[in-house]
Amino acid sequence: MTADDDTERFTYETWADALREGTLLGHACIDCGSVTATPKSACQECHSRQLEAVELPTEGTVYTETTIGVPPKGFEDGPIQVGVVALGETRLMGRLTGGAAIGDRVVLADVIEHEGMPAAVFDTA
Amino acid sequence: MARASIVGAGMTHFGVHGGVTLPELFADAALDAVDDSGVSLEELDAVYFGNTTGSVSENDSHLSSKVASQLGIAGIPCQRFEDACATSATACKHAVQAIESGRHDVVLVGGAERCTPASGLETPEMTKIFSSASHRQYEQPTGLTFPGLFALLTKRHMHEYGTTEEQLAEVAVKNHYHGSLNPRAHFGKETTVEEVLDSPVIADPFRLMDCCPFSDGASAVIVVSEDAAESYDAEPVDIAGVGHSSGRIPVAEQAALSATAAARRAATEAYEQSAVTPDDVDVVEVHDCFTGAEVLATEAIGLFEDGAGAEAAADGRTRIGGDVPVNPSGGLKAKGHPIGATGTAQLVELTEQLRGDAGRRQVEDATTGVAHNLGGEAATTVVSVVEART
Repeated sequence: MTADDDTERFTYETWADALREGTLLGHACIDCGSVTATPKSACQECHSRQLEAVELPTEGTVYTETTIGVPPKGFEDGPIQVGVVALGETRLMGRLTGGAAIGDRVVLADVIEHEGMPAAVFDTA
Repeated sequence: MARASIVGAGMTHFGVHGGVTLPELFADAALDAVDDSGVSLEELDAVYFGNTTGSVSENDSHLSSKVASQLGIAGIPCQRFEDACATSATACKHAVQAIESGRHDVVLVGGAERCTPASGLETPEMTKIFSSASHRQYEQPTGLTFPGLFALLTKRHMHEYGTTEEQLAEVAVKNHYHGSLNPRAHFGKETTVEEVLDSPVIADPFRLMDCCPFSDGASAVIVVSEDAAESYDAEPVDIAGVGHSSGRIPVAEQAALSATAAARRAATEAYEQSAVTPDDVDVVEVHDCFTGAEVLATEAIGLFEDGAGAEAAADGRTRIGGDVPVNPSGGLKAKGHPIGATGTAQLVELTEQLRGDAGRRQVEDATTGVAHNLGGEAATTVVSVVEART
């Protein structure tokens, strides 16, 4: 494999760049159809290497959430709300705004950056 | 037939140890275990050592040979383990395998960690270092903390089963009571449901009093073959089963966040190896880094039906004197949580319980114990079944 091959791969870098543009990319298995919200090197259900990048819905349902009073060093002072959002058949962790509770519909509204890495921000739909 | 046996157990007080180095701290626990066993330092065939944060927090790596050297030991294999908070349980699992295979006869296994401000880093820095166990790219940028991570799991449990903040507070009250009976506990004072619910919110539903402290401390056990165990001074405790499994990271991709699937797989494996069922268990040490984590753990290892763990705690069933005492040591909540020392500290407590040496916190007639030690987002879990010699 040459270094140039990396430009064709679906890696974290591709995922992060897409998120910054407002697109959520996941990995779908061509063999078994399972979808993950983050790129993998093999399918976590059937271990197939035949994976393709797919666009995930940007609207979903809060699966769980918490309001963190004491964030780690390097973040704004709390409280911040972090949640896991169900996007179709997969889920992604992100920041929540608007006080959404479990079961509420939320939509990708913004992106925050920490140490050069983006995180999705979901607002109440 | 046991897979291996513990013949010596030792630990330091868990709390603040700013005045000693990490190797000095570990040596205190290791020598305590060595002296308890009657094994001489010359007899050790290997040292399996657990430490999680030292490489980052103290710029201190390659710790296995350093801690061995502190004990005057060189010339034998020494290995360092790091699996987040499950660090010394995985170290012990490997010691059991080495004994079982015949590769080694006598292994010193344990862990040490320095997490308090007295050891150099203030709480915000240490919180960041702890968060390194969450996924670097897909979780850390959200601002997730470890209280936050377990809050996500616990909020889901509350949503699915109606678990309440008051029930969670009862777990803290129970573990503080147990800790008040343990002279080595970080917190020796009892608390009340009202005090827990009045403490500041760290990550809802967890308040300060739902969270374990940052502690300094060390623990160690001496593991030998079942047959050799009788030849040492101390009363042996048999390791009948050790299950170890993993779960998906990022945690969002785990199937059911309240289930902690890795713990279920590890428990099933450990029970199968030991031919023990949850009904046989007399005393349990689980990884209660947060009150909600204890509830999830007691369900995952089969002590209670799914959704019934919090009510069982609130009803006193997990208190010393209840049907199945959980965390008689005080658990991580009250005994303290020096990360890499926690797994073997659970085994130290169970060794003392099964020998009948646990003093005021003794669980009556305890002959079978279970330890549940998890790491990261419950994505590493080791479950160990230990039995008294009858």
